[in-house]
Amino acid sequence: MADSILTAENLSISFGGVNALVDVNVAIARGEIRCLVGENGSGKSTFVKIASGVYHPSRGTVQVGGKLLSPGDPRAAIDAGIQVVFQDLALFDQLSVAENIAFSVLLNSKNAYVGRKRMRQLAADVLEIMEVELPLDDPVSTLSMANKQLVAIARALCMDAQLIFMDEPTAALTKKEVNRLLEVVLGLRDRGISIVFISHKLDEVFRIADTITIFRDGRKVGDFEAAELTQAKLTYYMTGREVEYPAYKREPREADEVPLLEVRGLADRLHYRDVSFSVRPGDVLGLTGLLGAGRTEVALTLFGLNQAVRGEILLDGKPARIASPQQAVASGIALVSEDRKTEGLFMEQSVGHNISSTRLDTLLNKLRFLDLRAERELASRMVQAMGVNNKDIDILVGKLSGGNAQKVVIGKWIATEPRLLILDSPTVGIDVGSKAEIYESIQRLARAGMGIILISDEPEEIAANCNRVIVMYEGAIVATVSQAERETPDFVERLARMISEPTSQLAAPIQEGVPQA
Amino acid sequence: MNSPFRALFGRRSTQVERYLGVLIVIYSAVVGFQNPRFLSLETVFDIVHEGAPTMILAIGVLLVLVSGGIDVSFPAVAICSAYVSIKLMWVFGLDALWFMAPVSIAIGLLLGLVNALLIHFLKLPTLIVTLGTMSVYRGFMAVTLGTSQYPVATMPKSLAEFGLANIVSVDGEGSSYGLSVFFPIVVALFAVTWFILYHTMLGRAVFAMGSDEEAASRVGVNLLRTRLFVYGYTGALAGMAGLMYFAAMQNVDPVALQGFELMVIAAVVIGGAKLTGGEGTILGTFLGVLLFQLFQSTLVQLGLASTWASFFFGSVLLFSLAMIYYRQRKADQRNLVFRIG
Repeated sequence: MADSILTAENLSISFGGVNALVDVNVAIARGEIRCLVGENGSGKSTFVKIASGVYHPSRGTVQVGGKLLSPGDPRAAIDAGIQVVFQDLALFDQLSVAENIAFSVLLNSKNAYVGRKRMRQLAADVLEIMEVELPLDDPVSTLSMANKQLVAIARALCMDAQLIFMDEPTAALTKKEVNRLLEVVLGLRDRGISIVFISHKLDEVFRIADTITIFRDGRKVGDFEAAELTQAKLTYYMTGREVEYPAYKREPREADEVPLLEVRGLADRLHYRDVSFSVRPGDVLGLTGLLGAGRTEVALTLFGLNQAVRGEILLDGKPARIASPQQAVASGIALVSEDRKTEGLFMEQSVGHNISSTRLDTLLNKLRFLDLRAERELASRMVQAMGVNNKDIDILVGKLSGGNAQKVVIGKWIATEPRLLILDSPTVGIDVGSKAEIYESIQRLARAGMGIILISDEPEEIAANCNRVIVMYEGAIVATVSQAERETPDFVERLARMISEPTSQLAAPIQEGVPQA
Repeated sequence: MNSPFRALFGRRSTQVERYLGVLIVIYSAVVGFQNPRFLSLETVFDIVHEGAPTMILAIGVLLVLVSGGIDVSFPAVAICSAYVSIKLMWVFGLDALWFMAPVSIAIGLLLGLVNALLIHFLKLPTLIVTLGTMSVYRGFMAVTLGTSQYPVATMPKSLAEFGLANIVSVDGEGSSYGLSVFFPIVVALFAVTWFILYHTMLGRAVFAMGSDEEAASRVGVNLLRTRLFVYGYTGALAGMAGLMYFAAMQNVDPVALQGFELMVIAAVVIGGAKLTGGEGTILGTFLGVLLFQLFQSTLVQLGLASTWASFFFGSVLLFSLAMIYYRQRKADQRNLVFRIG
């Protein structure tokens, strides 16, 4: 192909006897947006790492602009105009925005002297091309995640990138920020720069992709025009099976009058106000709204990490005070937080130790020493129950894929046998297959009588799992949805509108008052 | 907004710098109130003379901390370089500063480079490596050269004179005093280090490495070269400071400055450098060492034994860092940020 910027032919690589990539051919045209999709471990990241010279393929070649790229040489890839914006961004937090953007260029120029003026100019020029404004002299540590993302892209552009790989750039962004990022990406394409976009969020993929390349089990399934695919078809190609999310339906129970948890007029100092709702056994209550609507902050209050200043929390109809996570756990509340890497797991510890960490007090023998056999039993049971792919409980959690690590986090909290489980964005950055398995677990637990609060901004996720829904906006509840209403046919579309255009809800609320089944 | 500070430094002052500035002014005022003679040119000159070697060592420590490491071997390097250079000079039957200074600096550079190579190729934590080399350097010198002291009568005359030399002399009532030749040396080293750190790619690479080593190597920073520079430069500074220390003390003592490393590190940390790397300013370092030196030399004037110095200094360290981190934590709590460390 003459107009292709990157041509990879017959790429294969294996790690320790496992084929991570088999005979993959990919050609990326100049000025196209290519989306790579596939489940975790399907080979997308491996492909990116070979194309950018991080890995040395055991077979196959990569050509950039018609010239053969020397394999396993990151510098050669950079010189050829290939840049990768990794998920961790790899920015220098303490250095200024301008310096972060211009760093590589300055490093490569033969000039040992660093002129502030030139540095700022380089950065300003690139930001102008991207049509964004950022405070050039502020340290990167003071920026939002979205702006850090833009700095990383600007740095890639500053290096004269012809092709930019972006690894899940939208995972930590709000809807608004995602829109801005996608606009930047489209703008770059119009300037003839090719973008390879990796994302688990299929709606974003459909919004920007020219072509979609699907990976499964280390092989390429195929390249598809975005227009010829539907979400269902795409999911089928990714997983090799039909993935459906059966909707959860709560069966009426006895003793429904006294809810597990009731919250009345709750407010914290800054983030939300006047929040009222209740959760009965078997309820999966969806708590949704844009990022920053106050959803997470409500959850933190219920877990003792963000003190409420007004309102009441009732557990089993009795007023309760939850001042610390310890008290929350003692009252039977568990929180699976949004950021599993820093708040949910001990990455350097084994799966077994992670799971037992919440239950150590019950795993003591008569001498008050840890009963190691009981610990292993508990861990094995949880690994089975949650369907973690790797049943080895001695493997480090850090080695698991995102989906499996998330199953471990949930398993760890299920081990405390909570009565109320709060899940904050449990499937962010997780592939479709694992997602379905996590949904299954959620519904199974709810059927067994657990009360569940599911925080999410994905309408499909809420619709599939929740029998009642609360929509928040700027710290207040703007809509509540009952089970009956949830079962109406166009519910997902309406919910999506409620989330993205909450202000219209303020004017015309769908339904007022505390939800009843 | 063009404050005089901004005009001079081209940036806003940091919280730590303002805090230390205020603290130094208040403390000086208290001491001056107790003893009006304190607020005099002579005091300033004294502090310059006594504090110069510490200042130079602190510059090296700043560099290492910014690069994300910790070096505890620099007092050992300082003493070894200076002592060896003196012994070597005697072998040639000389007594000249022009021999001692370059040789001491060269030995310091060499020992620093050894630190850098060990850190880079053994991939060990910098603290562990320099703890090791600290003992090795001192031990090796004691075994091969002995630990004889040379007080003012027997120390090299040129070195003793260097310690007393002034660039400006003032005749006071009864006694004369002056500004030590140490002053221009320290000023020059501050200026050179500032230029390297802020205006050369090498200096920016030091910040980048300290900020995120992995990210630095990904954008193409040569970690080995950067480390060689950081530890080599620190070693060379230590070589210089060692000679100046002997000169200022008027005594060549090869077992001096034991345990001094932590004091200097503390002074630099008070000055705003972070043990986690990537942060630290030259002005902050200067103020931190100045405060340390003030306590060292003025507590007597408040009627306290100078042994109180470390007590006061430690208290300031704990209090100021606790306050800075407390404010950070409060801000985090308000924003519901749960941060580790």
